[in-house]
Amino acid sequence: MKNTAKIKKPLSGQSKFIFFCLLPAIVLVGMFTFYPFFRGIGMAFQKYTLFDLTDIHFIGLENFRTIFAQPQFLQALSNSFYWVFISLICQFVIGFILALLLKKPFKGRGIYQGFVFYSWAMSGFLIGIIWRWMLNGQIGVMNDLLLKVGLIEERIGFLSDPKWSLASVIVANIWYGIAFFAIMLLAALQSIPDDLYESAGIDGANWLHKLFYVTIPYIMPTIIASTLLRVIWIFNFPDIIYAMTNGGPAGSTHILATYMMDKIMFGGDYGQAAAAGVIMIILLAMYTIFYLTATKSGKGADF
Amino acid sequence: MVRTKSRLGFIFACTILVSTVLSGCGSSSDEKIDSASKGGATVTLKMIESLTSPERTETLKKMLAVFEQQNPGIKVELISPPLQNADTKIATMLSAKEDLDVLEVRDITAKQFVTNKFIEDLKPYTSKWDDYKTLNDSAKMSAEYIDNTPYYIPYGLYQKVLFYRKDWFDEKGMTPPATWQEVYEKGKALTDPAKNRYGYAYRGGAGGDNYTLMITQAFNADQINPDDSMFLKDGKTIFSTPEAKQAMDLFTKIYNEASPKDSLNWAFSETVESFVSGVTAMLINDPDVIAVTKEKMKEGTWATAPIPLGPTGKAPRFVGAAGWGMTSYSTHKEEAWKLISFLSNPEQNLVFSKAVGLIPIHTTAAEDEFFKKGAYQPFIEMNNKPDAYFMMRDATDYQGYGESKKIAVEDNQALILKQRSTEDVLKNWDTYWTTQKANQKK
Repeated sequence: MKNTAKIKKPLSGQSKFIFFCLLPAIVLVGMFTFYPFFRGIGMAFQKYTLFDLTDIHFIGLENFRTIFAQPQFLQALSNSFYWVFISLICQFVIGFILALLLKKPFKGRGIYQGFVFYSWAMSGFLIGIIWRWMLNGQIGVMNDLLLKVGLIEERIGFLSDPKWSLASVIVANIWYGIAFFAIMLLAALQSIPDDLYESAGIDGANWLHKLFYVTIPYIMPTIIASTLLRVIWIFNFPDIIYAMTNGGPAGSTHILATYMMDKIMFGGDYGQAAAAGVIMIILLAMYTIFYLTATKSGKGADF
Repeated sequence: MVRTKSRLGFIFACTILVSTVLSGCGSSSDEKIDSASKGGATVTLKMIESLTSPERTETLKKMLAVFEQQNPGIKVELISPPLQNADTKIATMLSAKEDLDVLEVRDITAKQFVTNKFIEDLKPYTSKWDDYKTLNDSAKMSAEYIDNTPYYIPYGLYQKVLFYRKDWFDEKGMTPPATWQEVYEKGKALTDPAKNRYGYAYRGGAGGDNYTLMITQAFNADQINPDDSMFLKDGKTIFSTPEAKQAMDLFTKIYNEASPKDSLNWAFSETVESFVSGVTAMLINDPDVIAVTKEKMKEGTWATAPIPLGPTGKAPRFVGAAGWGMTSYSTHKEEAWKLISFLSNPEQNLVFSKAVGLIPIHTTAAEDEFFKKGAYQPFIEMNNKPDAYFMMRDATDYQGYGESKKIAVEDNQALILKQRSTEDVLKNWDTYWTTQKANQKK
């Protein structure tokens, strides 16, 4: 016991020294990370419009009442659900298949990987613009292709028909996010020792057994962390929708992130935008707690 | 001893922190003041543009190079944010009092900038500036739109005109449409989906509100209040009349029978692209499209005409404007004015207007052959018929102006998709503007 006390004393001084060295960084992070965060929450309870900054004042829950009364907000809420979960599931499944295919060495693998991963390096707005032109009803390549192979008889308004518009932006988002899962899962797959597969093979396991009893359990921490992160990113990702449809037609492709952007871009209403932002934070916090509890794993945090 | 050490450590850390923060915050403006106070040192002006495009930025840079050559003591740093959110970026920079001296002010942002005291009253400068006297009426009206005070000097005027495929019209033996009814009839006659040809480049997406408004105002032309264009002379909104319903019904027919289905979500680039690529026969847009059509279409295949008239032979029109203003907190106001007056002088304005495709701001430009013929001719024709094509003030000084644009686009799309009725949509717009007027600060 005495020894422990002796060791602790000099460390205490050292800890203080380290703490004071870190203090400027802590304060700067507080200023530039936490201040805007709490400021944003504060704005949700204020009348705060860019049009008249001379009249900012506390209005309680008025911003929340206003946005909940708008059908566009409720539509954006339900669209957010489809946007996140359809995108996530498709990105994960296709990304996982690609990662499995890319795991085995083959000639030209490096070049092929480059092609698979390049979408991740592009900006969301650029991807949105490219897909907008590809899906253009009159001069888009997608309609031309479908007409030439005889799958359709007349052009489809991918971005102007509400039956197609949400699906169209989700497809573009799936294309964009596949690379993320492919990269993450490939890295995890390459860390699995070959011995495990050899042992499983000796025990008579076929490739399906190896997949479910070796591969997936081994990379589960990566799966949990990457899906958790990806849900948050997709949920907060307005770029593709904004560039492709601007939330239209008639608000049919709005998600909460684009709805929030609209509040600033067209109404200059930081109060209502901040209120939408607070709702997004609450939803994401609820999801994260639920997800980590359901997967009963703190391993995600190791990522 | 330990306490003394920790206090010293704390003070030391705080000192580092405060000095870091202060040096970060204050550097640029201090630098500017220092350089200005040292006699003969270079003053750096920070300038931001809004309606950016690569070609326009290039033209502006060339003009700035000439300015710097003529004013060796002044350097100009140009900031060119992406067009999509440039105005929001500018407003945010202004609210944070970020280092800016000269900025692009648009008719739609001027009121907001003035209300927040972001921009300087230029009267002390314009009163001593000879070139101010040669500004044409539209330019002067735009400059002094807020409180009869010049808050910015326009660099050009935006005014809509009808672009049409002359070759297609000639094939059918048709003349360009003079009214909205003819836009529908002739557009329908030119529509052939099998050939992927349509009569009209409908703009249902971002910016589409300009067109629903344009047709509604043309149908209400006899009753409209030109000084308050969302309202009639009797104080009711333009959306409350039977004429408004006729206008929206006709506009929906133009979409359904003479436009590509996809155009429901088209914005500027798609409508222009559809016209220049041979999908649509008519396009209504600003003169900045002239440069694109000249570049991408064969001479003789296209032409321009005045905007369509309403049923009573009238078409109210706006003159949109954007120009250069000065931040109210600039530390180099004299130099900033030097730059603004240089960019706005008749010679430089002609350079800019021709390159970007805008209507110039000085009366002297009317003598320039470039603006007397061809694609610019309909502008002169409209100016010469002020009874038919009369001028109106846009509703940019209402707080809800920006939001109304978004609402108009979404409601119009819902109307076309048959999610809402014409009466329902017009009622919504009527209520919106009635509320805006009631809440308007006097």
